[in-house]
Amino acid sequence: MIGLSGSLSIATEALGAQTAALEVANNNIANANTPGYSRQVVSLSSEASVQNGTTVDEGVSYQGFTSVRDAVLGMAINGATSDQGSLTAQSKLLTQINTAFAGTTTGIGASLSTLFSDLSALSTNPSDPSARQTVLSDANALVNSFHQGAAVLSSATKAANQQVSSAVAQVNELSQQIASLNGQIASAEANGGDGGTLTDQRDELTTQMAQLIGVSTTQTGGAPTLTTANGSPLVIGDTPYALQVTTAPDGMAHILDGQGNDITDELSGGSIGGAITVRDDTLPALSQQLDSLASQFADAMNSAQAGGYDLNGNPGVAMFAVPATGSAAAGISLSLTTGYQIAISSDGSSGSSGNLKALLAVQSNNLPGGANPTDSYASLVGNVGFAGSQVNSALAATTSSLQQLTSQRDSESGVSIDEETANLIRYQQAYSAAARVISSINDLYTTLMSISLGE
Amino acid sequence: MRVDPNLSALLNGGIQSTEQSLNTAVSQLASGQRVQRPSDDPAAAAANLQSLAESSNVDRYTKNGDSVLSQAQMADSALSNVVSELNQAIALGTQGADGSMTTEDRASIAIQVQSILSDVVGQANSTFNGVSLFSGTSAAAPAFVADSTSPTGYSYQGNSGVNSANIGDNLEVNVNVPGDQVFTNASGNVFGSLSGLISALGAGTTDDIGNAVAAVKTALTNVSQQRVLYAGVVNQINAQESFLSKETISLTSQQQSLTGIDMSVAVSNLTQAQIAHSTILAAAAKVLPTSLLDYLK
Repeated sequence: MIGLSGSLSIATEALGAQTAALEVANNNIANANTPGYSRQVVSLSSEASVQNGTTVDEGVSYQGFTSVRDAVLGMAINGATSDQGSLTAQSKLLTQINTAFAGTTTGIGASLSTLFSDLSALSTNPSDPSARQTVLSDANALVNSFHQGAAVLSSATKAANQQVSSAVAQVNELSQQIASLNGQIASAEANGGDGGTLTDQRDELTTQMAQLIGVSTTQTGGAPTLTTANGSPLVIGDTPYALQVTTAPDGMAHILDGQGNDITDELSGGSIGGAITVRDDTLPALSQQLDSLASQFADAMNSAQAGGYDLNGNPGVAMFAVPATGSAAAGISLSLTTGYQIAISSDGSSGSSGNLKALLAVQSNNLPGGANPTDSYASLVGNVGFAGSQVNSALAATTSSLQQLTSQRDSESGVSIDEETANLIRYQQAYSAAARVISSINDLYTTLMSISLGE
Repeated sequence: MRVDPNLSALLNGGIQSTEQSLNTAVSQLASGQRVQRPSDDPAAAAANLQSLAESSNVDRYTKNGDSVLSQAQMADSALSNVVSELNQAIALGTQGADGSMTTEDRASIAIQVQSILSDVVGQANSTFNGVSLFSGTSAAAPAFVADSTSPTGYSYQGNSGVNSANIGDNLEVNVNVPGDQVFTNASGNVFGSLSGLISALGAGTTDDIGNAVAAVKTALTNVSQQRVLYAGVVNQINAQESFLSKETISLTSQQQSLTGIDMSVAVSNLTQAQIAHSTILAAAAKVLPTSLLDYLK
């Protein structure tokens, strides 16, 4: 037997449960566009008890709400985000370099062609001072082209270092926020609640972190742990571990973990990983290629000069000087000061162009590197292009896979306004019905009262 | 199975990618270049640089050819004048060798031969752009100067050097023939034979004059032989230049096919990109405003 008062309490409970459900729907709608928000579902259960061997239904009970999320999918998204961050950083840096090496009428290739073209014009009139001066200014233009090429690569290195430093600062800020959220979530869960929105916020921050650096999430003795891909801790429970940036003597930004270990080489993923990859792998290879082209070309021209005589009949002196240490391309300089010093004569007579053959041969002969200067430069540009195109196509692939993963996550956790609207109507109707029950019971009570009063 | 309710994110991704293709198609058409950065097609970009260097070489071979050609033509025309003057000297000498000639007649012929000699020296000292044509690789100008101690009356200031110029990857032509080889060659000395003729006409016998004429003839043969060298250079350059102009065309078309756009492909890419873009925009316009709320009023 329940009786009127029992029915009233069931209806009251129902009102409460439907209100709670409405609240959840309301919250879902409010956060429909919040990044990282996972939709919440209300959990209701029917109450019953057994009294004197009979099952007695006792209405509905509101069990709270749970967020719908898939941890595995979340990790996959973090992984893809981290790849995307890395490739985006690489692509930005390499696009700068590609743009700088795109010139076909400017740059080292064009300067080489102009130099040899004007040098060759001296074959019919070797003593023409203005033609000699032209060659000298061509050689100077070539030196400048080498400098520009080296500057493009070194400014990309600088940009990568800046990116590393600023990204580490962001990582540290995120670690602190995640650690404080971890603390709040732990106390919420200790009271039997669902971390809910706080967990969403933490997951969103973790994804932002993955954009900057490759991360891995695990549990250490119940405490959620966030580490870099190589295992250096970023956050354990509610304790953040700050990364540090130090500048090595060579000007490179190195990253130290919380214990002070240099983890630069072990990092991968995220814009930090991407910047380090470009800085430590791609750029040094290109710089080396440019430097060896500069130094081998200078050597070849100098030894061709040494085989001839200048306009005054003196033995040819070196045309270019290359620094003994450091970047040859950045440090190459023109040693000749006047056009008279170009050693075109093979016998000391001023009208001879016999040594021109040796100077011009530098263009077609293979340098010690295995290819002639033009082909060496073309291969350098090819490598610049390959580095860029590889990263760009990998970026396109990662972006589309990230889109798919995100869509997969949204299909599970995303808020559908239509769905929530339908739910609202459902809860609203249930609420109205429960209210009607209360009003009916009220009527019943009134009737009952009037009977007893009437007697 | 629940579906992704976030249509706008999906559509944004699509719109971005079609916009990207549209951008690419437009910028390719605008620039006429398919490869705008090495990363667009690394292999083509590298091959294009090599091809451009080859083009620049062809240009410089052509320029070299042109400048050698004008120099050779100049020298050839000087030598052609020398040949006709020598022929004239031979005719005068033959006339002077005639037994019926008086001393006065011979003296007047000698004066004419003398003027031929000065003309020939003038031709031997011809310059091109300020450079003596017949002084070898020395910058000496003039190539021959009057020298009373020399048996021929002139001494050579130049050297026997020969400059050469590239007019092809492995093709060189000589730019000059040294003056001593042309004018004071042991097997036919122009100045010596003309001086000999003048002195024979002044004091020699008929036989002496005949011998002197024969010497001039030998010198003429030598000059003609040397002239052939220039003619050979001119022919070689003409042949090479017609090859080089074909090479330029083929290199230009190679560069165009490496990094340029194929107009029909580019236009069809643009059309495709436009269609894809307007399709996705139309889809967005249809789908995005739809909501259950519209039907609940």
